[in-house]
Amino acid sequence: MAAIQVNGLRKSYGDFTAVRDISFEVPQGEIFALLGRNGAGKTTTMEVLAGFQAPDGGPGGGTVRVLGLDPVRDRARVRRSVGIMLQEAGFFPDLTVAQTVDAWRDFVAAPRPRDEALELTSLGSKAATRVRQLSGGEKRRLDLALAILSRPDVLFLDEPTTGMDPEARRRTWEVILDLARQGTTILLTTHYLEEAQRLASSMAIMDRGRIVAGGGMAETLAAQTGRVAFDLPLSVGVEELPVPGATLEGGTVVCRVTEPDLAAQTLLGWAGERGLRLRGLEVRTATLEDLFLDLSADEKNDERSGEKSGERNEREVV
Amino acid sequence: MTVSARDLAVLTRFSGRLFWRDRAAQSTSVGLFLGLGIGLPFLMDRLRPGRPDFVVDQHVGVLTMVLVLATFGQITITLTARRDQLLLKRMRATGLADRDILGGEVANLVVQGTGLAAVVSVALYALTSLPVPRDPLLYLLAVVAGAAVLCLLGTAFTAAVPRAELAAVMSMPVFLLSGFGAGGFGPLLQMAPEWVRAVFELLPSSAVAEVARVAYAADGSLVGDLQAAAVPALKLAVWAAVGLAATARWFRWEIRRP
Repeated sequence: MAAIQVNGLRKSYGDFTAVRDISFEVPQGEIFALLGRNGAGKTTTMEVLAGFQAPDGGPGGGTVRVLGLDPVRDRARVRRSVGIMLQEAGFFPDLTVAQTVDAWRDFVAAPRPRDEALELTSLGSKAATRVRQLSGGEKRRLDLALAILSRPDVLFLDEPTTGMDPEARRRTWEVILDLARQGTTILLTTHYLEEAQRLASSMAIMDRGRIVAGGGMAETLAAQTGRVAFDLPLSVGVEELPVPGATLEGGTVVCRVTEPDLAAQTLLGWAGERGLRLRGLEVRTATLEDLFLDLSADEKNDERSGEKSGERNEREVV
Repeated sequence: MTVSARDLAVLTRFSGRLFWRDRAAQSTSVGLFLGLGIGLPFLMDRLRPGRPDFVVDQHVGVLTMVLVLATFGQITITLTARRDQLLLKRMRATGLADRDILGGEVANLVVQGTGLAAVVSVALYALTSLPVPRDPLLYLLAVVAGAAVLCLLGTAFTAAVPRAELAAVMSMPVFLLSGFGAGGFGPLLQMAPEWVRAVFELLPSSAVAEVARVAYAADGSLVGDLQAAAVPALKLAVWAAVGLAATARWFRWEIRRP
């Protein structure tokens, strides 16, 4: 049984529908990333899964299950097995880091020792610091320390590394990966595509409340185009290049191809025969960023074609 | 001890620790409680020496008034601040039950209110002609039940407070009206029309004062006390039910979404 099941979820606030009929599953021990721009519906989805919000009433609202339980109806039981790192939640500013963790240890069953939680989140040296004196990144780490105190079976992480410096971010990634290796199921939302690609085995990209792309991370990226880029030699035109679909972006040639390594080989052979150098050559396989940008480009094209067809219709009506 | 009782005890202790770190809460809830609770009856005793009945009236009225401040007012301020700072949401993210999160805050303020009432009473027994209540258990019950009901009503009242900054201002009229109805500002209510007196007698604070006055009455018996306290006790029970129902229906755990 999947640890997290979302089936046809819909959530509205008044006239505004934040999440529209989305479905996905997260098997136990996997890390699943929910991606999307601000307002895409990621946090609402997570809040429903965490039991803070109920799906829309009636059969159109869909169902969500966490460890086989309804997170709203069985909230107390679900929360005992779940750790939640909210995107926005306050701290008691006058308590120290150690006092905060100690207080939270009283709130959960069988908690980790305080030092272990602080060590995992690299906050040991801040134990005696008042929460109001912590930086944004340190507060996120304290957030994580509180979320993992109860050794949860399922962990919800909403933008877990926002505000962290690169070193803290990498250490946090290690903690998250370790937890998944130990069997914790993790659902995370993030703006950092590199983070999602590094951590998650599956993902869904949301836009305006819908899932517009999703599946296994490796399979999804394998289906995407890679990228070969280099500075266009002075005496050469783009149309002369031996790779189809090359475009000029500034002075840089960009080729989007399914097999960028083969394209690079072809280009280097072609350049070698002509005694040309391909300065600034970059070869990389598809990344989430590419996928994300492709989806955005598709969306803009759809909007433009929608506007044009609207204009045409108007003309026809007139 | 059930898990819930353990959680309630943990949260009560936690709320108490936070309260005693908060200087603003101490100056209003504790400073004003002790200042007015001891000061005004002390003054009355000096102005009207040899009239312990006046001191009892003043003491019960002022005590009820400051109890409203330390329970209804304080819980309104605390819970709206924690709601707006998303602290309640964070606490709900643990396995704690909603009733325990709110119950811990209520229990803490009931314990504190009762303790402060004890300090005020003992100080007045020592410094003025105020007699010790004839029925101390009934007096204790009035304070504890009154504090609990006022906390419940304050919890429900937070739904009407749009922002934490408005909590103190919005709870002030309740404090003043309660003081007026309970006799905290002197016997002003006796000069009001009959229908005004009837309305003020319905307030939960008036019920607290009524039970406390029964406990302080010079004459009486256990059966007589119970009969005299039955109607105000019923009023408090009705207010408690109103507070619980309104909290269940309207209490907001986080700021309203735009």
